[in-house]
Amino acid sequence: MQRYIARRVLQSFLAIWVMSLIVFSLARLSGNALDVMLPMESTQEDYDRLAKYWGLDQPVHFQYGIFVARALQGDFGMSWKWPGHSAMGLVMDRLPATLQLAGFALFVSVLIALPIGVLSAVKKGTAWDSGAKVIALLGQSLPGFWLGIVLMWVFAVHLGWLPTSGRGGIQYMILPAITLGWFQVAAIMRLVRSSMLDVLDTEFVKLTRIKGLAEWKVVWKHCLRNASIAPLTFFAIIAGVLMTGSVVTESVFSWPGTGLLAIDAVRARDYQVVQAVVIVFSAIFIMTNLLVDILYAYLDPRIRYR
Amino acid sequence: MATVTARSRPWYAPPQIALALREARRYPVVALSILMFLLVIPAVFAPYVAPHDPLKGSLAKRLKPPVWQDGGSSAHLLGTDKLGRDILSRLIHGARVSLTVSAIAIFVGGIVGTALGLISGYFGGRIDSLLMRLVDISLSLPTILLALVLVAAVGPSFSTVIIVLVVLLWARYARLVRGETLAIKERDFIARGRVAGASHMRIMVHYIFPNVVNSLIVLATLQVGYVILLESALSFLGAGLPRPLPAWGLMVADGRELIVTAWWVSMCPGLAIMLTVLSLNLLGDWLRDHYDPKLRNV
Amino acid sequence: MRLRLTVVLITAVALVLGLVSTTTPAAAQAKVEKLVFASAGFEDTNRFWMVARPDHLQFDPFLETLLEVDPKTGTYTPRLAEKWEASPDFRRWTFWLRKGVQFHFGYGPFTGKDVAHSYALTQRPEAKMTLGPFWRGVEEVKVVNDYQVVFYMKKPATTMDYAVSRAGDFRIVSKAQWDKEGLEGFDKRPAGTGSYRYVGRQQGISITFERQDNHWRDKPAFKQLEFRIVREEPTRLAMLLSSEAHIADLPRELQKDALKKGMKIFTSTFPVDWMTVYLGGQYYLPGDPAFKPDVPWTNKKIRQALNMAINRKELNASVFAGKGTPTYVTGWSDKSEGFNSEWASRFDKMYGFNPARAKELLKEAGYGPGKPLKFKVVAFTEPGESEGPQVAEALGIYYREIGIETEIEVLDWAKVREMFRKKAIGCCIWPNIISWRPSEEWIRTSYWSKSPNHHYENEFVDKHYEMLTNAVNPQERDKVARTIGDHLFEEFADIPLFWFANEVMANPKVVGEWVYPGLGAGRSTHFHLIKATK
Repeated sequence: MQRYIARRVLQSFLAIWVMSLIVFSLARLSGNALDVMLPMESTQEDYDRLAKYWGLDQPVHFQYGIFVARALQGDFGMSWKWPGHSAMGLVMDRLPATLQLAGFALFVSVLIALPIGVLSAVKKGTAWDSGAKVIALLGQSLPGFWLGIVLMWVFAVHLGWLPTSGRGGIQYMILPAITLGWFQVAAIMRLVRSSMLDVLDTEFVKLTRIKGLAEWKVVWKHCLRNASIAPLTFFAIIAGVLMTGSVVTESVFSWPGTGLLAIDAVRARDYQVVQAVVIVFSAIFIMTNLLVDILYAYLDPRIRYR
Repeated sequence: MATVTARSRPWYAPPQIALALREARRYPVVALSILMFLLVIPAVFAPYVAPHDPLKGSLAKRLKPPVWQDGGSSAHLLGTDKLGRDILSRLIHGARVSLTVSAIAIFVGGIVGTALGLISGYFGGRIDSLLMRLVDISLSLPTILLALVLVAAVGPSFSTVIIVLVVLLWARYARLVRGETLAIKERDFIARGRVAGASHMRIMVHYIFPNVVNSLIVLATLQVGYVILLESALSFLGAGLPRPLPAWGLMVADGRELIVTAWWVSMCPGLAIMLTVLSLNLLGDWLRDHYDPKLRNV
Repeated sequence: MRLRLTVVLITAVALVLGLVSTTTPAAAQAKVEKLVFASAGFEDTNRFWMVARPDHLQFDPFLETLLEVDPKTGTYTPRLAEKWEASPDFRRWTFWLRKGVQFHFGYGPFTGKDVAHSYALTQRPEAKMTLGPFWRGVEEVKVVNDYQVVFYMKKPATTMDYAVSRAGDFRIVSKAQWDKEGLEGFDKRPAGTGSYRYVGRQQGISITFERQDNHWRDKPAFKQLEFRIVREEPTRLAMLLSSEAHIADLPRELQKDALKKGMKIFTSTFPVDWMTVYLGGQYYLPGDPAFKPDVPWTNKKIRQALNMAINRKELNASVFAGKGTPTYVTGWSDKSEGFNSEWASRFDKMYGFNPARAKELLKEAGYGPGKPLKFKVVAFTEPGESEGPQVAEALGIYYREIGIETEIEVLDWAKVREMFRKKAIGCCIWPNIISWRPSEEWIRTSYWSKSPNHHYENEFVDKHYEMLTNAVNPQERDKVARTIGDHLFEEFADIPLFWFANEVMANPKVVGEWVYPGLGAGRSTHFHLIKATK
């Protein structure tokens, strides 16, 4: 067991390192930061001076070396677009907002998916089942940004029930969470449904039915408990997907999270911040996967020896 | 065959039709017909079906509403966009673009993924470890961000979008095929093949691959919708297909500011995407339920 | 047991994640005590010496300049400087400063030392200002006494008043604060002399100000002011319509919607921006390796044809809602040095919409159905400037009519700049928006061979530019500038399109009146002049 964990942890770090290499090269490839940062009226002297100031006049591998050396100490450099702020500092400042949105979106999807998954399983084959499936699939068929804008217009402008954008109390989170979370409803619902179906068939349930327990009790108390195991793995994947999916949603609703930070940084060619964001995102994703793998190995001994 | 009982026959339908209806309910008819209408027929017959040239516009005729609103005309059934181009024609040609992009991306991604998955599952050991780590890394890439950076580097183009999509898609195929290969390779007929002197390549291609095709098809169908959505998200962020291609995603992105007054510029392609992807998903679901329950948790 | 545990765990996690709505208080919208402006965005930092001129919007309320720009007449009037004078050779500018001006937060009175300090900030190694090259032309800033400062310039500087006015980027900040708190303190809460004082920022989201009572001149109507950074245009419109914002920067496309719902447009007194299509690769200095003779528009006939193929009236009406004013030579408004009113009368004949003649010109240049002309139109968008791609596509449509095949590529602004910095833009033409500046500055940026960002160079222009930088007599300057302007006009150097005033939308229930001139330094300025609706 120890060896398995050690191996997986090592592999995770390797993955993160590869990510850093990829994003570093891509960022540098994306063009000269000076062209974005400097006003058009600048002279050659300005270009040279700022290249020196930001360390861009060094050869690329040199820059990478410096980057890695600093990164290992947790220093991802200073942002160019937001002078005075460190790249990692900015990411950390914005991360809570994204996590909060992703968490709430997950909550919303579970809130929708659980009942319709159960409904779909219990009333399998009927119109309820089809209806539930369509609602779930609808979420996977709508372009996120379009949904966001439509929701904003209907609920914020025409009806005035909710604010259009920004961050504040819970009412600011509702529309972005629906936009972000509806996509996951189908996956979660399918999971709940199939797990429920499996369990509904077991001897155990038949026994409880024979015992004479009310149908609803059978469904909710006994089946749901046992059916909730499988979803565990998928929360990890979904969490990762939500975090990257948030880029579009945050853009539409001006939600001040890391996704929005990333877009701004890419547009401004602020390499330091782009690197920091990408690495943090991947690290979170890889770590959650790692945790789930370990948890799964703990629950299912067969996996450890593969 | 079974007789149609009084209870299950709708009062308005004679026995033969009711029978046909019941048979038809076995297949995802609705999904398939939407797909044919919205995606396949327009994609294939675009130049013949579309009433106008999708690239030609006239600034004098910009933002004309659809035919059922006042100001609309039958010349432009779904109205015109910011530059006076006919929306309906652009939708039709857009189907072609969407289908082409998805087909190419899935095909290339599928081939790469399948090949790597076969190799990984068949040979096992360190190659397997290495490739699966690659899969992990690939699945953990924050794709949209990387797409943005990549497009910032090389500019938006058809090939850039394909590359981004392939990088995103191959890993799922690799994982699926590897899993199936692992299961299949222990079977008797494989061992027999090896004894008979078949090379590794031959075994993979002729023995293992045919057994994997079913699942591949289901996965591919499920992915077309996803690819279309991803392309539209990339276009929204400015990292998608280049103008003036009539790509649906690009059309929605372009019309997003006008969503209040000239709603048709954004709504029509948005609806097209939604209906197409929905029917693809329904079809995929049906395929999966009927042909390959193993994929239920993909 | 294990199963129950996992179920409890999952439910708990979901609940916790779901109910984690941290107590970030909703933006205090105390009715209309706080005026909210939804802007397209700006580079948000307090370090004004690192910010390009348009983004000086964020400093307008709280950091002042030596001279003011009168919102009705556009002339330079006293502000922190009461009087100013240039030496005959324009190399020495003296400013007499206003007495009794206090910095915010108790940092003491404004004196000459603060002017010298502000200048020193513009010379820091990380500085990147729009007028950076101009400030490097300062030899020395001498503080004669507390209320008199002299700028010694390396070369004659006829545009000093422009540079130190509200239209420029020279912001006055407190030396006392810097001495006490350094850069860190300045970053946290910079002290200025404006009628609003800095309250705080949320990085990438907003900046808030509060009215400074007892300001030496202004009495703003609104107690608080907030600028929000909102990238998405429909979101800005939504905010305006739902009263989350009272003023919003909207693209022309969305103005109709806002007007329908009762919003009002506040236009700047003067035009601010002009939109022109530039033709890349025009490097005519003899021996310039960047010059490629196969760039089609090195042939004057083609340049003219490209101009004549465009129906400017229709383009104006459709893409710009008719708001543009025709421009004859890129960069020259009737306020500029060297403006020639003859251009207006000659424009139609030389540049006017005439597709038949355009086709002829193409044929004369050797292009036609057998040998079609093909090139790329490159476009980009910047916050607040969204029409580039539309203009590019419109061009594509017009050029198609005369048999030219175009390929439109929408790129990042950075990519485009890289191309013309590397002199690799001979492939393409591109629409661009630039804000007004004095002619000499404009020529230096775009038509002078030694600028890293020029797209057109020519011995004639170079020679006259040198003459212009050394000329001090206003008539002579006008003559030289006009010569350059005439050259550009005759040579069809670009495809000039339109001038625009700045238009900002506001809720008439909140904003009653607002007169502002329209400056490159922020486009919307003079927030203290906004009068509330009764």
